[in-house]
Amino acid sequence: MSAREDAIRDALKRRLSDVRNRLAGLTPEAFGDAADYLKRLQQSFSSENPSGNDSAPVPARNGGNDCVAALCAISLTSAPIDSTIQSADAEQFLESLKQCRNDSEKRFRLLAERFSWPPTFSLSSEAEIREHVLMRTMVHDRARIEERSIAGVDADDLLLKLNLVAVHSLETDDLRFLDALNYYYELLPTDWVPRARHVSLVVSFLGLYARALHVRILRNQTIAHCDTREHSARSAADI
Amino acid sequence: MRIAILANTLPGALPIYEELQRADAHDLVVIICPVSSRTGARDWAKHTARLLLKSRQFKSLALLSKGKVKILRHALDHPRSLERLAKLKLDVGLHKTGNIYRQATIERFRLGILNAHIGLLPGYRGRSVMEWSVLQGDPVGISVFFIDSGIDTGERIILSEQVDISHCASLIEAKQYLFSLDALFYRRALALLSSNELNWKRNDLSGRRYYVMSKLFNQTAEKILLLHHPLPSGEGRGEGLSYSGRIDPHPNPLPKGEGTSGIDN
Repeated sequence: MSAREDAIRDALKRRLSDVRNRLAGLTPEAFGDAADYLKRLQQSFSSENPSGNDSAPVPARNGGNDCVAALCAISLTSAPIDSTIQSADAEQFLESLKQCRNDSEKRFRLLAERFSWPPTFSLSSEAEIREHVLMRTMVHDRARIEERSIAGVDADDLLLKLNLVAVHSLETDDLRFLDALNYYYELLPTDWVPRARHVSLVVSFLGLYARALHVRILRNQTIAHCDTREHSARSAADI
Repeated sequence: MRIAILANTLPGALPIYEELQRADAHDLVVIICPVSSRTGARDWAKHTARLLLKSRQFKSLALLSKGKVKILRHALDHPRSLERLAKLKLDVGLHKTGNIYRQATIERFRLGILNAHIGLLPGYRGRSVMEWSVLQGDPVGISVFFIDSGIDTGERIILSEQVDISHCASLIEAKQYLFSLDALFYRRALALLSSNELNWKRNDLSGRRYYVMSKLFNQTAEKILLLHHPLPSGEGRGEGLSYSGRIDPHPNPLPKGEGTSGIDN
């Protein structure tokens, strides 16, 4: 492994440990309806099972998925998730998304409907939508929070976008998406229980972030393993 | 060519003015504009304080007395500012402000407004691009291009060149070093524009737009940068980055904390 990849992997390992500690420190009762879900997630990331619960059933996808429920289910498993459902015209959807830039409730509805099965956010057809979501999160929402406070944004809307970014981070090598999660992990108050319709989204954000970190660490280790094998083969050939 | 340095402060514009004056090939003017339409009074207080406190106050005053400084009271895209810019009949603007330019402002310059961006275009657009380049093991550099109303999306790149930052002991120092090269890069870009040797490079947007970097990756990028920092003899170094073409430090680097840099970060 290169010294650069090594430095990245070490940083991600430290952060994963920190996220797990933060998850473990949350008080389930403070999260109302999401209390049971948080307990399951805490168990999933317990010290006996630091990488998450592999034995959790793979969430089923069907036409009637609820986006928020699906995000919670995905955060509880590290098994591969199917993302092959094709969505309707992306260009038209992006236009609708841009038009409701001042209507966070509508934006939440649009995103939750289109990505009722969240892994579809990673499809190649959704590339421009992903860029738009990343840009809104890292420019507009970030500026509002930093200039005012976390109360300056619609928590449901922000957290749904962060959850989708996290789902994509599980699939992509593009570090910008993982770093958006890094950034918000540092920005959001550690004990934040949002006044939101879907309080579970703050928990699933942490769960999916932890999984994304874990996946990236594993990927780096795979690169290292391949590097080592290649190096050995080359050395043998040289001899 | 008639060149305008667009800046928020006069001391901030001075290094570029002095560098271009050495070339003695252009008619130069400095345009001081407010950061935004709401910051007029605050900006004036800052200008006055800077003028009185900074070491370049005499040079600034000399420039003012020569009538080489135009001060806009309104934001750059305000109708009165646009009218004033039109009257100045400018060929090229040099970005040295913290402003984002609207199309109407850009059109007041015959050829456009140049921006010195501390990333290699078309690969690295947006914020923290130097840090992102280091993190991803890519070369660091500066691109001078004609801006449009998007974020580093202007199509016409005049100059895009790698810069060696391996001698810098921190990301802040590396950034400051790149910032200090803006005057030099502007002079070279203008020389190319005036010559017959210019081959436009097209910004085809094939790269990515980057955003402000987290503390976690910032610290990691710094660690990676230091892997390449020359260490005392006997200490090892990490893998090599492919930085090349180190450019000599600018003879008049920007004083620390001097306004906003013309180089977009």
